[in-house]
Amino acid sequence: MEYLVVFLILVVFLQTRIMELHRATYLLAVQSAIIAGSCVIVGVSSGGGGFHAFLPGLLTLGVKVIFIPWAILRLIGEIKDESEINSNINVNYSSLAAAFFLVMGYILADRLLPGTIGRDIFAATFLTIMTGLTLIVMRRRAIMQIVGLITLENGIYFFGLLMTEGLPLIVELGVFLDVLIAVVVLVILTGRMRLSFMTTDTGVMRKLKG
Amino acid sequence: MESSISQLLYVVLGVPIVFSILAVSNLFGKNLLHHLSRLSAVIVGAAVFRIMMIFNPGQPYQGTYLLLDALSLWMMIIVTLLYLAFAFTAEAYLDRDTNIRYGYLRRFSYLEGRFYALSHIFVWTMLLVVLVNNLGLMWVTIEATTLVSALLVAFKFTKTSLEAAWKYVMVCTVGICLALLGTILVYYAQLQAVGQDMPLDWVYLTAHAQELNPALAKIAFCFLFVGYGTKVGLAPMHAWLPDAHSESPALTSGLLSGSLCICAIYVLLRNVVILMPTVGASFISGICVGFGLLTIGLAVPFVVVQRDIKRMLAYSSMENFGLMAVGLGIFLPTAVEAGLLHMLNHALVKYALFYTAGTIMETYATKNMMRIHGMLKQSPRTAIVWLLGIAGILGMPPIGVFFSKFHIIASLFSAGSMWRGILALMLLAGIVIGILYHAMRMLGGQPTRKSAGELMGFMDTAAVFTLLILSGAISATIHELPFLGPILQESVKIVMGGAL
Repeated sequence: MEYLVVFLILVVFLQTRIMELHRATYLLAVQSAIIAGSCVIVGVSSGGGGFHAFLPGLLTLGVKVIFIPWAILRLIGEIKDESEINSNINVNYSSLAAAFFLVMGYILADRLLPGTIGRDIFAATFLTIMTGLTLIVMRRRAIMQIVGLITLENGIYFFGLLMTEGLPLIVELGVFLDVLIAVVVLVILTGRMRLSFMTTDTGVMRKLKG
Repeated sequence: MESSISQLLYVVLGVPIVFSILAVSNLFGKNLLHHLSRLSAVIVGAAVFRIMMIFNPGQPYQGTYLLLDALSLWMMIIVTLLYLAFAFTAEAYLDRDTNIRYGYLRRFSYLEGRFYALSHIFVWTMLLVVLVNNLGLMWVTIEATTLVSALLVAFKFTKTSLEAAWKYVMVCTVGICLALLGTILVYYAQLQAVGQDMPLDWVYLTAHAQELNPALAKIAFCFLFVGYGTKVGLAPMHAWLPDAHSESPALTSGLLSGSLCICAIYVLLRNVVILMPTVGASFISGICVGFGLLTIGLAVPFVVVQRDIKRMLAYSSMENFGLMAVGLGIFLPTAVEAGLLHMLNHALVKYALFYTAGTIMETYATKNMMRIHGMLKQSPRTAIVWLLGIAGILGMPPIGVFFSKFHIIASLFSAGSMWRGILALMLLAGIVIGILYHAMRMLGGQPTRKSAGELMGFMDTAAVFTLLILSGAISATIHELPFLGPILQESVKIVMGGAL
C-alpha cells in the first residue's frame, strides 16, 4: 500500500507539469490503475474475500483504466490542432502548489483525524483532490478539464477507500455508472465544441455574463 | 395495501422508461409520439394520485431500495404535476419550433423523439431521487439528473447553449463530488457509531442519529451543504444557474427550475434530518438563513439590470430558492410548512412562466425584453397569462406563492430576529421593482410585431392556466384538502424530526 501511495503522489506531481494531451491521458490511466490496485488490496485485507472484494477493483480497471482513457484518446485523435494552444501559465507554480497541498494534507490529517492510521494516504488523497480542482480551474483546454474531473473523483474515491473501505456495493456501482455517463456526456460536448468553435479551448466560451 | 403501493410504484418508475425507449427508437410518427407522451404522463399521474389516496401518512412504505414516506410523496406530487404540464405543453412548443423561420428541429425530425426520450428520462431520474431510501443512492441519482439534463441544456447545440452546458456539468459535478465526500463522512460516522448494518439507510440512520460523532457530523454537513447547495444554486455557487436556465429549451428550463433544484433541496433536507441532533439546530439554521438571504441579495441587482427574459426568470428562481433555504432553515413548523408549500407553488408558477417566456421569445425572435412591447394590445390572452404569472411569482394574492412567501417572512419575524425579516422584505421589494418594471414594459406601449394574434394555442393555454389556478387553490385550502393536507403536515413532522 505504501508503495502505491508513493507512486500516486509521483503521478499527481507529474500531472501538474504535463501540458500535452496524450501524456495527460496516459497518466490518468496510470493513476486509475493505482487506485484499482489499492482497491483490491483493501478488499483482500478487510477479510471479505470472494467476489465482493474484487468487484470494485475490477470495475475501476474496466471503467477508469480502460474505457475512459480510450474514449478520451479517441477524442484527441479527432482533434488535429492539438499542440497549437499553449496555456500561458507556468507549470512550476502548479507543482509548487501541489507541494503546498501535500504539506497541508499532512497538517489537516493531524488536526482533523488524529490517530487515523493512514496519515500518508490522507495527505495523498488531499493532494489528488486539490490537484484535480486546480486542473479544472487553471487549465483552459476541455480535455484537461475532463482529466481534472476524473482526478478529483479518483481522489474522493481513494478517500472513501481509506475511511470506510469503500461505500456499500450498490452505491459504488451507481458511482461507477455516473462517472461513465459523465465522461460520455463530456466527450459529446467536447466533440460539439470542436465543431462549433473550431477549438477545444474553453477560454473562447465567454458570451454568457450577468 | 403494501403490495398495491409497490405495484403502483413500479408503474410510476416503469412507464417513463418504456416510453423513452419507444421514443428514441424512432418508429413512430410525430402525432403518435405526442399522444404517447401525454398518455404516459397521464398514467404516471393517475398512479401517483392513486398512491396519494391509499397512502397512510403515518405508515411509510419500505422496499429494498425504495422508501415512500410523506415527504417523498409530497415531492413526487410536485414532480408529477410538472411532468403532466410538460406533456401537455410539449406539442405546442415543438410545433412552434418546427414552424418558425430559424426552427432548429425542422431540419432534423428525428430529434423530436430524442428530445422526448431525454426529457422523460430526466423526469424519471427525478422521481428516483425522491424515492430511494439510501443517502448514497440519493447522491448517485442527483448526479444522474445533472448528466441527463446537461444533454437537454445543450440540446440545440448552439454556441451559447454549449457554453452553458459545459459550465453546468463542470460546476455541478465538482459541487456534487464534494457532496460525495460529505456522504462518505456520514458513512464513516455511522461505521464508528453503530457498525456495519444497513449502510447509509435513511430510516436506520434517523433512528440512530443521536449516536453520531458531533465533530465529524459538522464537517460532513459543511461538505453536504456546499455540494448540494451548488446544485440548488445558492449564492456563491450559483454560476451555472442563470446560464443553464436561460440557454436550454423553454420546457427544460421549466423542469430545471421547477423540480430539479428542489430535488437537491430535498436531498439536503434528508441529510440535515440525520445530522441535526448532533450538529445542533442553531449552526445549521444560521448557515441556511445566511446563505438564503445572500442568494436573494445577489439576485436583486441582476434582476434589475437584466435584458434577457429567461435570465430574469432564472434570477427570480434563485431568489425563490434562497427563500426556501430561509424557510426550511428556521426550523419552526410554520416556516417549514411554508417552505415545502413554496416548493410546490414555485414549481407550478415558474413552469408556467418559463413556458410563456419561451413562447414570447420565439414569436418575437428576440430575448431582449427591451424590444418587446404592446403585448396587451396584440395578444391579450398571452399577456394575461404572463401578467398573472409575474404577479404570482412576486407574491401577489390570487396565486399561491403569496401564502407561502407570507408565512416564510412572518416566521422570520417570529423567529426572534426582526432585522432579518426587514432585510428579507427589503430585498424582495427590490425583486418586485425589477421584475415588474420589465414585465410591464412588455405588456404596454405600442406594438412592435407586425402581425397581431395570439401566441399560444388552446391546449397549452389551458395547461398553463391550470398550473396557476392549482397553485392558488391548493395553497389557499391546504389545511382542508383531504389527501394533500395530511401529507404536508406529516412531511413537516419528518423535516422537524431532527429538531424535536
